[in-house]
Amino acid sequence: MARPPLTSTFDRLRRSGAVALIGYGLVSLVALWLVVNFFKEPTEFINVGLIGLTNGAIYGLVALGYTLVYGILQLINFAHGDVFALAGLTASSLIVSGLGLEKDASVLAIIGGMLLTLVVIMGFFAFVNAAIEFVAYRRLRRAPRLAALITAVGMSFIVQNVSLAIFDVNFRSVPSFIPRSEAIGIGDVTYSWNKLAALLITIPVLVLLTWFVQSTRQGKAMRAVAQDTEASAMMGINVNRTISVTFAIAGALAGAAGIVYLLQFNMRYDTGFELGLIAFTAAVLGGIGNLSGAVLGALVIGFIQAFNEGLTWYTPGSDWTRSIVFGILIAILVFRPEGLLGERTPEGA
Amino acid sequence: MISRKHGLSVLALLVAVLALVAAGCGGNDSSSSGGTTTEASGGGGSTGNVEALPSSSCTAVEYKGEGDPDVLLASDFPLQGSSRTQTIQIVEAIRYLLEQSNYKAGDHNVAFQSCDDATAQAGKWDSGKCSTNAQAYAGNEKLVGVIGTFNSGCAAIEIPVLNQAPGGGVAMISPANTYVCLTEGGPGCDATEPDKYYPGGNRNYARVVAHDAYQGAAVAEFAKEQGVTSVYILNDKEAYGLGVATNFKNAAKAVGIKLAGFEAWDPKASSYEALFRKISNSGADAVFLGGLIDENGAQVIKDKVSVLGPNDGKVKLFAPDGFTTQQTIDEAPEATPGMFLSVAGVPIDEFKGKGAEFAKAFKPRLGGKAIDPYAIYGAQAAQVMLDAIAASDGSRADVIAKMFATKVTDGYLGSFGINENGDPSGAEGAVVGFTIYKATDKLETVKTISPKPEDVDAARG
Amino acid sequence: MNAFEQRLRSYGPGAFAALALIVLGFLYPKYAESLGNLSLLGDYVPSVNSMVIMIVFTMMAVGLNIVVGYAGLLDLGYVAFYAAGAYTSAWFASQQFDQWNFHFGAVGISDDLPGIHLSIWLVLPLAGLFTAMAGILIGLPTLRLRGDYLAIVTLGFGEIIPQVVRNGDNVFGFDLTHGTFGISPIDSPGFGSAGDSLGLPLSYQSSFERAQWFYWTALALLLITVFCSVRLRDSRLGRAWIAIREDETAAAAMGVPLMRTKTWSYAIGAFFGGVAGAFYASFKSGAFPADFYFNISVFLLCMVILGGMGSIWGVILGGMILGYLNVEGLATIGSKVQSSTGWDWFEPTKFQFGIYGLIIVGMMLLRPEGLIPERRHKRELELGVADTPLYDVTHEGSDTDRDPSND
Repeated sequence: MARPPLTSTFDRLRRSGAVALIGYGLVSLVALWLVVNFFKEPTEFINVGLIGLTNGAIYGLVALGYTLVYGILQLINFAHGDVFALAGLTASSLIVSGLGLEKDASVLAIIGGMLLTLVVIMGFFAFVNAAIEFVAYRRLRRAPRLAALITAVGMSFIVQNVSLAIFDVNFRSVPSFIPRSEAIGIGDVTYSWNKLAALLITIPVLVLLTWFVQSTRQGKAMRAVAQDTEASAMMGINVNRTISVTFAIAGALAGAAGIVYLLQFNMRYDTGFELGLIAFTAAVLGGIGNLSGAVLGALVIGFIQAFNEGLTWYTPGSDWTRSIVFGILIAILVFRPEGLLGERTPEGA
Repeated sequence: MISRKHGLSVLALLVAVLALVAAGCGGNDSSSSGGTTTEASGGGGSTGNVEALPSSSCTAVEYKGEGDPDVLLASDFPLQGSSRTQTIQIVEAIRYLLEQSNYKAGDHNVAFQSCDDATAQAGKWDSGKCSTNAQAYAGNEKLVGVIGTFNSGCAAIEIPVLNQAPGGGVAMISPANTYVCLTEGGPGCDATEPDKYYPGGNRNYARVVAHDAYQGAAVAEFAKEQGVTSVYILNDKEAYGLGVATNFKNAAKAVGIKLAGFEAWDPKASSYEALFRKISNSGADAVFLGGLIDENGAQVIKDKVSVLGPNDGKVKLFAPDGFTTQQTIDEAPEATPGMFLSVAGVPIDEFKGKGAEFAKAFKPRLGGKAIDPYAIYGAQAAQVMLDAIAASDGSRADVIAKMFATKVTDGYLGSFGINENGDPSGAEGAVVGFTIYKATDKLETVKTISPKPEDVDAARG
Repeated sequence: MNAFEQRLRSYGPGAFAALALIVLGFLYPKYAESLGNLSLLGDYVPSVNSMVIMIVFTMMAVGLNIVVGYAGLLDLGYVAFYAAGAYTSAWFASQQFDQWNFHFGAVGISDDLPGIHLSIWLVLPLAGLFTAMAGILIGLPTLRLRGDYLAIVTLGFGEIIPQVVRNGDNVFGFDLTHGTFGISPIDSPGFGSAGDSLGLPLSYQSSFERAQWFYWTALALLLITVFCSVRLRDSRLGRAWIAIREDETAAAAMGVPLMRTKTWSYAIGAFFGGVAGAFYASFKSGAFPADFYFNISVFLLCMVILGGMGSIWGVILGGMILGYLNVEGLATIGSKVQSSTGWDWFEPTKFQFGIYGLIIVGMMLLRPEGLIPERRHKRELELGVADTPLYDVTHEGSDTDRDPSND
């Protein structure tokens, strides 16, 4: 059989280890760059790193939703980012108009209001996400994989336009309830309360989610369905219900992420698309389908973004941030499709 | 082969269905016009012998005068997104003037269409929309003038198309474009600017607003007064934003302010905190934002305050007219206080003579909203255009010639002429002045500056 | 002649209908105005200018159909090829590189204008070739990936390229793309003084019949694209694409070189995208980074899905319908409904991408084979393919579908 010349060139390179060499070369260059930057301005390096940590935690919440769904369905749920944006925008309305919370409201009212919003939004968008699965994806179970992917892209546009219809094109935000004052300060290194809040929400959510997937009956069912749909159906697992639950959890995560994001940043109807792509990249980077991988990947992306924008020694600058993020996406898919923590993905790559 | 036959029959069926649907939609439409208003209602409709511009961007033809219109005037502004508060006032001012003159300019009956160069998805001007609009203007034989655009980037797209339009080009006048290189070259511009905007050879574009070399100089002088010693300049990379940032940079150097850095911000990013960390490390005691509020400006301002502290504190914040709108304050109410914003012209309450009269007469049309200075600039641009049409024989080339021959005496913005570049010249009054506002919960006037000529020259580059 | 007639006859009435459509198409500028004056339908008739845009996008959809429809490779970043084509024509037919002064066959501009000015007729194939090269470069490392990963990689490229264009005003001090300003004006096609005696316009842009000349050229380009597309489908290469689409492993076992075949589909699909992009840039007289965003990729994909993946006639139909809605239709319908009912909220243009999303989801759920299905593809959808179905994880081999011929 004639060997296609194009393939063989790449494959020969791959087999000879040249590709791996390039990969390691790139990684060590990045490491060198980080080390030099660290020694030039250690406090700035840490301060910038903390910004990356916060943003990475928020990306992580969104990335978890992608990775959960992918783990069970092998479907890249494009609409997830847009559900996240819709959730955030709805939360902004609920907080500002619905509850009428203001910046100088009492601490109790703020905490109570935020918790209420969190519960309502998470519940509602759990339902929305499960409904999306029921309407759009369930009928395509036996269809070719690409059919579902295309549907997900279409779904993403629909959800985005629902946001546009309800919340129009302008940016929305909420008053800064959580003070931007210093929570932790060691010398010139500072970490403010509002950033800490993002971590304080993300970490418990991750712990809770891991516990749910590892230890509960429903979580075990999810893992079983992810590994073998037919076998798990034979073992008496209700596959439809399990998939619905997965989507509901992902929707609740999107709701939580929307609120955390809203506490830090402005949002508008298309925020979810950009952020969704970043979060998806994070999920792929960590090893899609792997929960801790998604968070790890998100943190890495957060750090890279922040360092690129905040450091001074040979940095491309904020102009190039998105190119770098998507460059990472392409590189990881080409060089190491299983991601950083790939060995442990449910599909057993 | 079977599938092909099948395919064609499906195609025929679809065409038929579409036609039916279309007929159904069109059916109820005959009752929409009434009274003395002659309104054509869609793409192919016409009023008298004036062909309407496409409805995908423009309103229906507006004409409330006697008889049939014989020339068409269009306005081209971003009517969606953050600029909307300003641009609807400009369009309303044009309508007001037309109504005052009973849709007449000299012997010509002028019909009007307001076109939108923004898309709802972007919430700001869109290059594709600008290009399509310009092609539509160029191809419409009765159209003799365009009032617009609001954004210099859009003007850079439309001017060359209108310049090459059949009949000697279409006259265009802007109340808001401040990018220097649209009209004059110089060290700060590309070697091919501004000639590349006029491939036909003759000029067809004028503006009634002083360009950004003036604004850059005015803000730099003001910043110096405020004790700024070192400034970090951010821009959005667009024609306007990068242009005004560059002008400010040059002027700042000339008045003795150090440049701590010059960088772009990405409107699609969600956070700029890392960027401001870098700025805080650079030791700058002021930040200048060359760009538009539409470019995620509110987030930039928020992150500035969250990293560098309040605007009336250690690090001051300056922004040009792309930010000078109530919308900026509404989108970031906690972060804007203390921020300085500049805009061409004098504050509304300091307009004199005709400008003040206009403001008074125009106010009732705004339904309680505060009048924006751009309304007066819009009125002035419309007046120049209408006068040019009145003096002309109604042909495109003659409207351009008459526009460049304009001499405004005691107009809405004072007295000035249009020089051969299309810039206001010999100006007195509001045209060359710049007002600096300070943001509180609204824009509060700080002072009006007419920059020194040597600083303006320095700002050019 | 006889053989030709026989061949024509063998195509049956379909061929005559197609011929009639083409003739009607070419005559469109002649009767568009009288159609526009019809009492009820007139306002819905697209202007010749809009038709140019519709045809350009249809041409891109036909190009995309080669990648998505024939070879079954989901490309979510087709807009990158459009951008590459547009910028090729911006580089070779504008004042962008004013440090050089090179004229060859350019029309409608003075000879001392700085910059590279090639004739647009030369620039179009050049843009196609350049874009095809770009397609190969993107394809080489990525085409070995599994379907959905490939889609993501193309999406990544589709996001990176606009930003590279945006930041390309300073590539180590060299102004390659002129940043967000974009490159404008771009020279116009035309026949120069040689065409003058034949009644052909010197330069389209400064001609009074600008729209109709652009229209005829666009239609000719579309016909060439369609012709190539039909011939390719029936060729050895085309059959190899369809074999890969239906069952990659079986195709490889039968000796179809996977990578080479896939790369070809990328290159050829990119070629047409590039030509269309270059022509469109010349029509718009400019190339701007803001034109190339993800939504365009999805818009083109929607055309392919609506018409029917793999079906040329379907894609043309889908392209023209959606192109019409995009350029004029939604706005006309919106203003009609608004003026007759007074519903101010009815703004279909604002939600156009939502409408495309609805079309995509609706088609995938209700009629995945498209309006005019391709026979083979319909059978695949009915009988199933050897592609990994969504839920069936048991057959998952590895993350990359490795080329068995190399193992």
